[in-house]
Amino acid sequence: MSLLELTAVDAAVAGFDVTHDVSLSVGEGEAVGLVGRNGAGKTTTFRSIMGLADVTAGSIRFRDEELTELPADRIPSRGLGYQPEDRKLFTGMTVEENLRLPIWSLGDERGIDDEDAVVDDIYDVFPELEERCEANVENLSGGQAKMTAVGRALSLQPDLLLLDEPLEGLAPVVVSNLKRHIRAINDRGIAVLVAESNVTHVPDIVDRIYVVERGEIVASGDPEALAEEPEIQKLMQGSGV
Amino acid sequence: MTGLETFVTHTLHGIQYGFVLFLIASGLTIVLGILDVLNLAHGELFALGAYVGFTIIGYLTGLVAPPTTLSTQLVFLGVVLLGAALTAAILVPVGVFLETTFFKPIYGRDEVYQIVLTFALLLIIKDVNKLIWGPSPLRLQDAYGGINSIPVLSRVGLTYPTYNVVIIVIGLVTVAGLFWFFNRTKTGRIIRATAINREMATAIGVNTGRTFTLVFALGAFFAGFAGALALPPRFASLDMGANPLVLSFVVIVIGGLGSLRGAFVAALLVGVLSRWAIWQYPPAELAAPFAIMAIVLLVRPEGLFGTWGEMG
Repeated sequence: MSLLELTAVDAAVAGFDVTHDVSLSVGEGEAVGLVGRNGAGKTTTFRSIMGLADVTAGSIRFRDEELTELPADRIPSRGLGYQPEDRKLFTGMTVEENLRLPIWSLGDERGIDDEDAVVDDIYDVFPELEERCEANVENLSGGQAKMTAVGRALSLQPDLLLLDEPLEGLAPVVVSNLKRHIRAINDRGIAVLVAESNVTHVPDIVDRIYVVERGEIVASGDPEALAEEPEIQKLMQGSGV
Repeated sequence: MTGLETFVTHTLHGIQYGFVLFLIASGLTIVLGILDVLNLAHGELFALGAYVGFTIIGYLTGLVAPPTTLSTQLVFLGVVLLGAALTAAILVPVGVFLETTFFKPIYGRDEVYQIVLTFALLLIIKDVNKLIWGPSPLRLQDAYGGINSIPVLSRVGLTYPTYNVVIIVIGLVTVAGLFWFFNRTKTGRIIRATAINREMATAIGVNTGRTFTLVFALGAFFAGFAGALALPPRFASLDMGANPLVLSFVVIVIGGLGSLRGAFVAALLVGVLSRWAIWQYPPAELAAPFAIMAIVLLVRPEGLFGTWGEMG
């Protein structure tokens, strides 16, 4: 049984249909990619899962529970962590405050007894953040800010992590570092769904991918094999491939 | 009185006035910063606090001995402060009721709904005050004079009402408490996170609906507290909510819309400079706060500080 199962999902943003008939699944502990050009519908799909977009048709089930029937603020309590595309860190606060906020909000419900242990665990994954734990998030580099956003998504010890373009806009050395971190997170048994516009990035991170174009899933399978396909290459032209 | 004593006295009056303004404006600016609602009825919550305070403080002071000796005066002060705290606590369920019943349906809708709704609530609360306490102004007997009999600044040769000193001290404690709450407690920082990015707060599991109710209740608490504390030196009257509302708007515009730190600095600025203006040129009393606002906006159009959530 899949951990996450989207079936024929249509979603709208500001009244305009963005995704159509999107079906995908993520298994327990699996690493899956959702690849597509900017504006293809990756972010809307992620927002649909998190209850932040208007799902007009279809079903989104997580551990066999229908997420579309839940208020958005209840969805993280089910075991989903979300790193949005533009990070959306809480400005005016430190790195550590950003990491702890989800625990303060839902820690009891998620059965987190030792808040410090969770934060230390995040620092184990991202040692760079521990050095900057007291820094205001406005003063972070792009890579550190992305790590903080991913770390915040980890702080409720999720079963599934949704990472929306975690590598976008980062220097090559930071990209390879963050890829390694994402792999390490997945190696801990946390399922990962990564949205990415650059198909060459994903084979290092995920086991299989879905390709989304104009709001629809147009292909799925092995990331390396799909990256070689002329049709996919043509589709991804202009997206950095 | 020497020139220096006059200057100090007027400055203290200004600081005291600034703290009262801050107590009122803090609620208004918190609600604006987080709920994105400009609550025109906030001044009437201040007036409601004065009326409820009149009943509660009047009852409690009737239970203790008249303030004729230092010990009874101190007891009297304690009872007045207890009454103000109880008044503020009573305003909390009032705030919860108003937010859940009237405000929830208009979140995210056009500002004109906010204006119509909050103006209607302004009139309704005013009428409720009139219905319960009548149209005539009400004044607490003894409270102000009794507390002022406690010698504080007179010990250093300064003629200044002790009750005003109490207001300054309470204002300082309240400011420190508010900043501690928003910068150090989990709930306070969750509220700030909600102010900074409501959607992301939802995505980390914050129940923003409950946060909004809490914030509005907090605003009502401080409006009620300010109303009860402002009562002893003055009358509780049906029109007492209007002037503080307008001045609170001035304060939050000077401070930066929705900035708590800005509201604090601006309240003291308006309080002190207004008093100095009155001292030097009494006809400037009404115009002074607006002149200060105009000058600040000319120099810093966005106000003195940024948005509320980021500044704490």
